[in-house]
Amino acid sequence: MIQLIASLLLRAAVVLTGAALATFALLWHAPGDPALAIAIARYQAVVPAEVVDQVRTEAGLDAHFWTAFQAWVGPLLVGDFGQSSVTGRNVWPELVTMISYTLPLALAGLIIGLLTSVPLAYVATRRPGGWLDRCAVALASIGAAIPAYWLGLLLILLFAVQLGWLPAMGTRTPAHIILPALTLGLGVAASLTRILRSGILEARGQPFLPAFRRRGVANRDIERDHVAPHAAIPVVTVFGLELAFLLEGVVMVEVIFARPGLGSFLVSAIEARDFPKVQAVVVLTAVLFVTVNLLIDLIYRALDPRIGERDA
Amino acid sequence: MRSVGTLVVVLVLLALIGPMLAPYDPTQINIPHRLNPPSLEWLLGTDALGRDILSRLLHGARWSLGLAFLISVIGLCIGTVAGLVAAQGGKLTDWLMMRVTDTFLAFPDLVAAVVIAGVLGAGTGSLIFALTVTGWMRYARVARGIGLSLQNRGYVVQAKLAGLSPLVIARWHYLPSLLPSLAVVWTGMFARAILGISALGFLGFGVQPPMPEWGTMLLDARIHMRSTPLQMIWPGLAVVICVLAINLTGDALRDALAEQKDQKGTA
Amino acid sequence: MLTVDHVSVRRGTTVTLQDISLSLGPNRTLAVVGESGAGKSTLIAAILGLVPCSSGQVTWDNAPVRRCRPALVMQEPRSAFNPRMSLRRAVMEPLVAQGMVADPDRLNALCHGLEIAPDLLDRRPTEVSIGQAQRMGILRALIAKPPLVLFDEPLSALDAVTQKHTARLIAQMQHEEGFASLIVTHDLGYAAAFADDIAVLRAGRVEELTRSQSFVQAPQTAYGRMLRDAAFTLGALEQVA
Repeated sequence: MIQLIASLLLRAAVVLTGAALATFALLWHAPGDPALAIAIARYQAVVPAEVVDQVRTEAGLDAHFWTAFQAWVGPLLVGDFGQSSVTGRNVWPELVTMISYTLPLALAGLIIGLLTSVPLAYVATRRPGGWLDRCAVALASIGAAIPAYWLGLLLILLFAVQLGWLPAMGTRTPAHIILPALTLGLGVAASLTRILRSGILEARGQPFLPAFRRRGVANRDIERDHVAPHAAIPVVTVFGLELAFLLEGVVMVEVIFARPGLGSFLVSAIEARDFPKVQAVVVLTAVLFVTVNLLIDLIYRALDPRIGERDA
Repeated sequence: MRSVGTLVVVLVLLALIGPMLAPYDPTQINIPHRLNPPSLEWLLGTDALGRDILSRLLHGARWSLGLAFLISVIGLCIGTVAGLVAAQGGKLTDWLMMRVTDTFLAFPDLVAAVVIAGVLGAGTGSLIFALTVTGWMRYARVARGIGLSLQNRGYVVQAKLAGLSPLVIARWHYLPSLLPSLAVVWTGMFARAILGISALGFLGFGVQPPMPEWGTMLLDARIHMRSTPLQMIWPGLAVVICVLAINLTGDALRDALAEQKDQKGTA
Repeated sequence: MLTVDHVSVRRGTTVTLQDISLSLGPNRTLAVVGESGAGKSTLIAAILGLVPCSSGQVTWDNAPVRRCRPALVMQEPRSAFNPRMSLRRAVMEPLVAQGMVADPDRLNALCHGLEIAPDLLDRRPTEVSIGQAQRMGILRALIAKPPLVLFDEPLSALDAVTQKHTARLIAQMQHEEGFASLIVTHDLGYAAAFADDIAVLRAGRVEELTRSQSFVQAPQTAYGRMLRDAAFTLGALEQVA
């Protein structure tokens, strides 16, 4: 077991190093002169070449690739995300502020997704192939095909523009979170419903269940002790996918609803070519993603004893 | 496989013939007739520059579907080669190959695509690059998984003993068994590419105006949501219909494959 | 001449073969017998270089054994063929790999010798009987004139009548082609009737290595005796001896 965890940790470390390297290489080789972009952003005007060169030296942009990479990764390991190349301010406090906006949104989306998909999947599987089931499957298929940004726009159109019930843009009141969270949540619900449904159906098909039933074990107990845990396994494994979905959704949803947060922070940093900020968000995402997937891997192995250590 | 064939034919036809059916030039600006509601003259109305929305949708099919097809097929090739190299190479090759795959999987793929396309600068080239780089890993995993399971089959051992080169073995013995599963992955990745293209277009990082791409059209329409809400419906609907059709085909294909396996299992 | 020189195979901490030494010359047949799990299949894999030897080496005429392009006949004839490929293409693989074209006379002669109707070659592996598939396997093994052919339980997937027939065909082909043959089997009767020598494998070691006649008459070890008595209790002993 310890060996398994060690190998998984080693794997995560290798992957994160690779991810950091890939990110840095992409930004390092980005077209255009970042020094010029920074200089223009700072002085808001056409700048002479000497100033651009000065900016270049200041920002360490004239260094060798590996030197620059080390200069970035070293502080990163102790949690220093560096300074914005445009404003010169530390990235980390800004990042924390953005997380404080994004986290509630993502959580609300996840909760809406779970609250919609669990009952829907349960009701659908009461009678597989029945009209409720077919409706649920159809809804889930359509839901999976609707891009988050379009759904968001439709919700704005309906509830904010036409009906005027809910606010759409910004974060002024708590009610402002409803539409963005709904956009995220319905997307999550669509994929979760499908996975839960097939998980429950598979769990009900376990070969030993009829024997329990014949011996008079109550249906409710069977559902609780044998169906629910089994159906939870695929849900745990797709949590990584849901996380990806949430993060991607957050980017689009924050842009559409003009909300501050990690997603809109990332997009505006890209547009301003403020690469330290971009790197910070990307690395943070990768750490989060890899950590969650590592945990999922461990939980999965704990839930399903059939998955041995051979897959490590 | 037949359903996938039909789907490909329909979508290719749509991308090829669609623009021919368009009643107007999709980039023809006609300011006096801007933001017209649907009418007999303009079936779906006109946009903020007076361009015919139906024509733009039909021409947009070429961008959205054509690029998505290209991206998903490039990813298919890269991923299959990577997966087969991992499966046929030694333990070290396999480990390295899979860690490279994991590295690319360390980001949610759309977020990575947004960063790549955004950093490289808007344009079709960086759009294709961004979505391909983030879209080959699933093929690689599937190809490797099946490849490893084939490794100890009698006929693969025989081919190795006969002294056939890994390339020939891959071509003769691995690829034919891989294709059905790869086709299922491909449908998913095709749909993903359509969503990705329009998402990047919507963020302004994708296909550039005046090209009629569905995501870009949505970005334009968003500003006029209050005055002409219908304008926002069409491009989104086009994306949803295409993605839904592809996903349903993929589901059908997967079910058919599972059934085939079951039959083999009981036979 | 095949030389297996003090070969051991370990997988993790378990030893599957320990200090095996054997030799086998052209036109000779060595049968390796033993219970399931004795390491018979591992021995074949080690000889063919499919699993690495942790110590010792396997050579053919002092060169690595793979250089002589040894052939293998498998236990499950159907899985030895790609179900998507015609038998003709599969059978030709050893030739294609060496960039050679099939000599039609040799193909016909082999088909004749193995009693394969030539039109069977255009079928798929699932469209022929198990016995026919096994003969196809032998055909593929022999097509490129290998000096060494390994047989991994060549008869155990076949029914009794086909077994006898196939065993006779293998012996006949060997007589014509002169290859060295190593047969892994748990069928002592087959080993005694067709092999020149018998090696008894037990828990990864060679327990006994003798002429097959003398093994049938008087095994040297208690284990060998036990194996023999178990195999020949039904009066088959007299038949062979």
